[in-house]
Amino acid sequence: MTVRRAEPLAVTAVAATGWQTACLVAHRNGERFEGLFATAGDGETVELRALFSSPAETRLIVCKAGDRSVETLVDDIPAVAWDERGAHDLHGVRFAGHEPLRPLLDHHAPLAAWTVPIVGRDTHEVAVGPVHAGVIESGHFRLHVVGERILHLDVRLFYKRRGLEAAAAGHPLTTSLAYAQRACAACAVTNSVAYAQACEQALGLAPDPELGRARTLLLELERVYNHLHDISAICAGVGFAAGTMAYATMKERAQRLNERLTSHRFLFHTVRVGASDQTLDAATVQRARSELRELRDEHASTWRQLQFTASLQARLGGVGILTRDDADRLGAVGPAARAAGIHRDLRSESPHLSYGLFEPVEAPDTPGDVASRTVQRALELDQSFTLLDQLLAGPLTPGRTQTAFDPAEFGVGRVESPRGATVCVVERDEGRLRAMHLRTGSYANWPALAHATAGNLLPEFPLINKSFELCYACADR
Amino acid sequence: MFVLLNQLRRVRRDIAAPAPVTRSSLALRHVDAGSCNGCEHELTATANPFYDLAQYGLNVVASPRHADVLLVTGAITTRMKPALLAAHDAMPEPRLVAALGDCALGRNLLGQPDQHAGALEQILPVDIRIPGCPPTPAVIAAALIGVLERCSRGR
Repeated sequence: MTVRRAEPLAVTAVAATGWQTACLVAHRNGERFEGLFATAGDGETVELRALFSSPAETRLIVCKAGDRSVETLVDDIPAVAWDERGAHDLHGVRFAGHEPLRPLLDHHAPLAAWTVPIVGRDTHEVAVGPVHAGVIESGHFRLHVVGERILHLDVRLFYKRRGLEAAAAGHPLTTSLAYAQRACAACAVTNSVAYAQACEQALGLAPDPELGRARTLLLELERVYNHLHDISAICAGVGFAAGTMAYATMKERAQRLNERLTSHRFLFHTVRVGASDQTLDAATVQRARSELRELRDEHASTWRQLQFTASLQARLGGVGILTRDDADRLGAVGPAARAAGIHRDLRSESPHLSYGLFEPVEAPDTPGDVASRTVQRALELDQSFTLLDQLLAGPLTPGRTQTAFDPAEFGVGRVESPRGATVCVVERDEGRLRAMHLRTGSYANWPALAHATAGNLLPEFPLINKSFELCYACADR
Repeated sequence: MFVLLNQLRRVRRDIAAPAPVTRSSLALRHVDAGSCNGCEHELTATANPFYDLAQYGLNVVASPRHADVLLVTGAITTRMKPALLAAHDAMPEPRLVAALGDCALGRNLLGQPDQHAGALEQILPVDIRIPGCPPTPAVIAAALIGVLERCSRGR
């Protein structure tokens, strides 16, 4: 394990003609692709950024695409597919070799333009959404099926696009945090911390341990209520009401604890750029600790009950399989990737947070199906309860930052959300934000979810969808 | 299974929710017109044993065709406006429209103006206003139970 220090973001500028080569060299050197973003440059130009990271370093490759055209990365890095499609729809960037470059955000495109053509005897399409039957976020699915069997799924999201990133540009760095927080309530802390860390890196600031501890505490509180929610949702996906309600009850208690600690059930307004105002006295942390211990015990006993519920277990195994190779190829992150055997968690490379020498929890068996994604969350819940117990060992006092290196144009924040690695890249223009790019764990996982759906039965789609439990708001922004 | 059910029974007993005051019911349909997912989490929470809206006859139904109340969340995006109007059109009359949360009420919206279709008020006649960012399940439950009581009195 490599422990990283606070340092400026490494930036490599290349010409548009060298874009593909530079990115592919990074990829072949084992650096992991973490996002591709486009920004409007001077006049007609577009600037591209690609984020790569290895355990030792995170690096941004930047280029000016004068004629809005570069060579594609998609053949070598399939995880870039949505990023390139999005950059084309928003900024008109052409990615030579990305064929066909299907629309992603463009809702005016005809059906044939954004769906994969599936033809043959008895094939037909089932269209679902954007309004769904339950209390679910809005998005449209085109399920190509033969009988009950799903051949392929085309996902059309971005119904909830509010233009948060573009609207954030031009405002002071500190106030634009509101835009990152608004992207998604369930990942509000993650997105805010990723944004704050990105700004701090651009401003040359390093957080003190207390600031790291405050943020870690908030991130783990967020993970606990989300994982409780996700297990509840998986039980709902098979109609197992007793499990749904047992975990919904625990989630409610976790959110009431959030409210007692921070005055907000979703921990809104708790993260700031450059500082933390959160304080908790000794009595409050002790009460929170004992409440979390009770919740941990209740999770343990309820989880045990779920193991003995044959009607539930019979529905989870072998459904919605995401293989390790596919997870790796499609850039899957978070519990979904760990359930497929990729033992990677940004908490083990977070020098500015209080995770110490964090090791992601490994399930004994990781076939990448709905069952293993459920088990992964249950194990991570337990780990988060342990982390919270340590974090709440003493009172919490305000945290600060200090100047550690020279300010720079770019900064990046990387945080493990309940759904996976979330990265935020900020571009700074003095004290103001020139551009913000937020690539959430949900955004990274949508293509993997679509892939895992193929080959399953149509009625299993809601269950598979819930086993990933991705946010739509986080992806649409 | 029995252990689970006993746990849930215990939770219900400890909470001692107020008894239903009416034998009427309202069927609810939710449309997310561009929320941050906070209102959805809290609306889902109103079904948990702490609030259990179903005991008052308040149920979320799968289709707007079966619904009395349209619960609209989110800053109405231009991309969701057609689906929102289609859901409203599909509802039988009489029908009620609820703006659930600050975004639907047009308060403190963030984003590009050209991505927003305006506050719900400018798009559909709003009968019920439930403020909050997001409104807590207790606030949502109180508002909807209030509507149910008013509707059953008015009959």
